[in-house]
Amino acid sequence: MIYLDNNATTAVAPEVVASMQPYLTTAYFNPSSAYEASRGPAHAIASARGKVASFLGGVRPDEVLFTGCATESNNAAIFGVMRANPGRRHIVTTAVEHPSVLEVCKEAEREGARVSFIGVNHKGELDVDAFVKVLQPDTLLVSIMHGNNETGVVFPVADLARIVKETNPDIIFHTDATQSAGKLRLDLNDQLSCVDLLSFSGHKLHGPKGVGALFVRRGTRIRPFMCGGHQEGGRRAGTENVGHIVALAEACKLAEAYMESENAIVCLRDHLEKALCERIPWMEVNGAGTDRLPNTLNLACHCIEGESILYQLDAAGICASSGSACTSGSLEPSHVLKAMDIPFMAMHGSVRFSLSRFTTAEEIDTVIEIFPGIVERLRRISPYWDTAAHAPRG
Amino acid sequence: MAWEYSEKTKQLFMDAVQGKPGTHLGEIENPDGIGEHGSIACGDAMRFTFRVERDPRDPLRDRITEARYLTFGCTSAIAASEALCTIIEQESRTPIEALQIQNDDIVAFLDGLPEQKIHCSVMGAEALEAAVYNWAQKRGVDLSSLGIDLHEEDEDEGRIVCKCFSLSEPYIRRKIKELDLRTIADITHAIKAGGACMSCHHKPGGLQDLLDDIWGPQEGVTRSAAAAEPPLADERGGGEPLTAFQLMRRVDGVMRDAILPMLRADGGDAEIVDIKDMTVYLRLQGACAGCAGAATTLKLLVERTLKEQVDERLRVIAVGV
Repeated sequence: MIYLDNNATTAVAPEVVASMQPYLTTAYFNPSSAYEASRGPAHAIASARGKVASFLGGVRPDEVLFTGCATESNNAAIFGVMRANPGRRHIVTTAVEHPSVLEVCKEAEREGARVSFIGVNHKGELDVDAFVKVLQPDTLLVSIMHGNNETGVVFPVADLARIVKETNPDIIFHTDATQSAGKLRLDLNDQLSCVDLLSFSGHKLHGPKGVGALFVRRGTRIRPFMCGGHQEGGRRAGTENVGHIVALAEACKLAEAYMESENAIVCLRDHLEKALCERIPWMEVNGAGTDRLPNTLNLACHCIEGESILYQLDAAGICASSGSACTSGSLEPSHVLKAMDIPFMAMHGSVRFSLSRFTTAEEIDTVIEIFPGIVERLRRISPYWDTAAHAPRG
Repeated sequence: MAWEYSEKTKQLFMDAVQGKPGTHLGEIENPDGIGEHGSIACGDAMRFTFRVERDPRDPLRDRITEARYLTFGCTSAIAASEALCTIIEQESRTPIEALQIQNDDIVAFLDGLPEQKIHCSVMGAEALEAAVYNWAQKRGVDLSSLGIDLHEEDEDEGRIVCKCFSLSEPYIRRKIKELDLRTIADITHAIKAGGACMSCHHKPGGLQDLLDDIWGPQEGVTRSAAAAEPPLADERGGGEPLTAFQLMRRVDGVMRDAILPMLRADGGDAEIVDIKDMTVYLRLQGACAGCAGAATTLKLLVERTLKEQVDERLRVIAVGV
């Protein structure tokens, strides 16, 4: 099987599995207990917190909270900031956020907040002018994702956070870095020093599902999202998921080492992109010509539908994903592609390949061999495609 | 979401995309019947063509010898198209006999379809109906004299209920009855109406109202007050400047009585997002939204109408195009 859906989830690295095992077996003790045996788990958490702090550019360990997933981190960030600052009700976000920010902001609207959703252009780039104009005297929170999960487009978060802080230092800046963690350097003491809150999770960087983290810069006005315990300094109640926390830290450490040593993913992705573009007419790269995550390739094939592409890829042993309506569970295509206003002939024909450090050159070659045939066969069936002319009809 | 298709569906799809002998991919040149359903904007579409062996004396004895399709859509849309053509060719039916093939037959042929994919089979049945209608016109067959009530798609024009898929009230009403749709979920699964933004579910004149109207209100379901407001009396004429309230009422009235019927006739729609001073922020919806050319034309049209009928200082700003 060729797994190219790493923006959905990743394979757990063997070292990560090994690191968490003791806490699922012999060292099962509650880290909050009094006896000697619970010191092991307690130390493991402290050490994990240190590793994650180092992964985030050497922040203070007490600025790292462990959560259940990135969705929880996003909920905690947005609702926590709203509760701590009832006097200001304006939130700014983007139209292309992951649902765990987008839907939370819509929920915040129901609770009385005013939310501005900033749009993007056809390349997926944020409308920065609109962003600047929308900042208001009572703006409380800006939440803008770092790398987009569908297109891989990277927003200039460092710069946006700086603009926010220069406008009004009281505005809190949150970023969802779930897709960029492990792929781009996250230095919260340097280039991201204006970011107050940052979310990410374990399972997007070869850690397990069920664990995430929220960076909370010291001094940020935020209330706890989960109450009822002293854990995480009273800021996230609930007995610590020790094994998974250890695993997250191990995954961060491995990702850091990988980023320093090589950057093979981007070469493979670029090779895949170039080869497919050469072989397939009337296909666009969503987010082309702008800054993108090194592992993501989102294609829009004119005149065909993404679900039937995925089905044939799967039949050939290749796992990918699509933003088409038929794969979304609703009847609407992806909100990200709609926000980019990509041509409607291509809107339903999107396919996302997302690579990981475990992806091999042979796997990419297999996709290059198989994918053009799949597109061609579906186009022969499509009423919108002129097979003789190799172009859309009319 | 793993694949929830039957083996039969998967097999037909793979056979079709690989163009195996006996499959029905293609388009017949100079067909005796051609019918289309769906659109690329909605995510699936089918062009269905057939050829008949013409009976020299009686067109009603024409027999379908060949059926072909071109389909844009998901795995099940393509499999349903293949199923339709196979069923039709099996028994060399007359076009009138072919009309007996309902979406249920396509679903049965496929050994079932997931609920949310039922609309793929309805698309096949719709394209078939359209093609038979086309054949009847070509062959001078009067379908209504046979007691067959077939519609050309334009006959379904009317108030758009589902803006996301541009589906009109007459069309939805007809399908509710034909396919015995009893709930909003039934409607969405069969013809996609109400499946995207969902705003048409419970508003006055929306899907629930249509269901209640056809099947009678269900116990425990409160009917929304659909009573239309009386049209605004024309208060224009006096030289007195309008107050902000009067201006809003007037703009709203002209929108409702003059502009929206015009837009809806073309499958479009619009809503006022805001009125600040003399600026109307207008969001265009339905068939016209997303088409920049149409949006500009419509914006100018709306602006001219509002200037003429309310106040010439008014200007319109299109939002969300």
